[in-house]
Amino acid sequence: MAGVAEYHVRLKDHLFFPSQVTIPANQKVKLIIHNQDNTPEEFDSFSLNREKVIFANNKASIFIGPLQPGEYDFFGEYNPNTARGTVIVEHQKQKSPDVN
Amino acid sequence: MLINTVILFLRDALPIFVLVVYLYVHLPANKLWLLSCFIAGAIFSLIYISQIHVIGQWFDGKGIELSLWLCQSFVYLLALVLAYELSRNQPSNNHLAYWVAGGMVSLTLVSKGSNFIVYFEGYLNQHNVLLTMLLGTFLGLGICLSLAVLMYLAAQWLKQRLGPWSTWLLIHIYVTGQLVNTLPLLVQVDFIDASDTAWNSQNVVSNEFEFGHLFNVLFGYQAAPSIVQVLVYVFALLVPLIIFYWLKQNLAFHSGNKQ
Repeated sequence: MAGVAEYHVRLKDHLFFPSQVTIPANQKVKLIIHNQDNTPEEFDSFSLNREKVIFANNKASIFIGPLQPGEYDFFGEYNPNTARGTVIVEHQKQKSPDVN
Repeated sequence: MLINTVILFLRDALPIFVLVVYLYVHLPANKLWLLSCFIAGAIFSLIYISQIHVIGQWFDGKGIELSLWLCQSFVYLLALVLAYELSRNQPSNNHLAYWVAGGMVSLTLVSKGSNFIVYFEGYLNQHNVLLTMLLGTFLGLGICLSLAVLMYLAAQWLKQRLGPWSTWLLIHIYVTGQLVNTLPLLVQVDFIDASDTAWNSQNVVSNEFEFGHLFNVLFGYQAAPSIVQVLVYVFALLVPLIIFYWLKQNLAFHSGNKQ
């Protein structure tokens, strides 16, 4: 079975770092979100059809894709004004941070 | 924090309100079951939340998603038991219907209510949020109650005109929608592979806005559903309808023959 590329996102002070994650088109990837706040957060995205609670000082994994090229917004449901980000899906080959 | 709390109520409390209203109209007379199942649901929710870190580790980190999907699957199956009871048309066996309804509300409280506990537990300790959270709670409850009253009147009107099967149909559409809503949970933990989107109507009615939330609660509306979600929705909605229609016709035929 082919490896799944992993992308890491950090949540600190109710902000996502990086707020833009670029992933390759038509590939399933694993998004790992590290919540470094002392409060829980729910990762939410209507366009990606994903929702997952990430407990305080904890991490959670979400599989996304395969996706068509485009921009897919995500946000923290408990802090939607600050915790916002975008998954950018591109055709070009991306350099994967980690591959299993 | 105010708007967040209101939105949380629309997303997670409204499904509980709608189910309770439908069942309240559907089941005759005795309403004591409602109080009992609220208490049971609250206790189960607290137990679930207290063990959520343990549950989260089950099945290689897929425990929470699988447990939420199982909750909704049971709610769906219990709705079919309600229909079976209705098709048998035996008023003496109403106790079973109350137990079934109680189970449905309790399981929905666990799956939806646990989100509230996480939210309030996490943020109530923060400074200066108590007032805005309370205000958001009152606003959210007010919106949910208003919609619940409207749904109650609509369900009552339908029941008086078309009989109890119409309220069961409302329940069936609701539980099918909720069941299909849980499928992305299985996709996000890579339990099933179903990411291909059937269509995208975000520009028409987005799930982000009020009507999207409302339609999602009432019949499981998704602006960008996967093909698997659409197939499961059609199958889960139509197959029981066909079976129970056939059962009803069969029973009517046999009772006609006896007379």
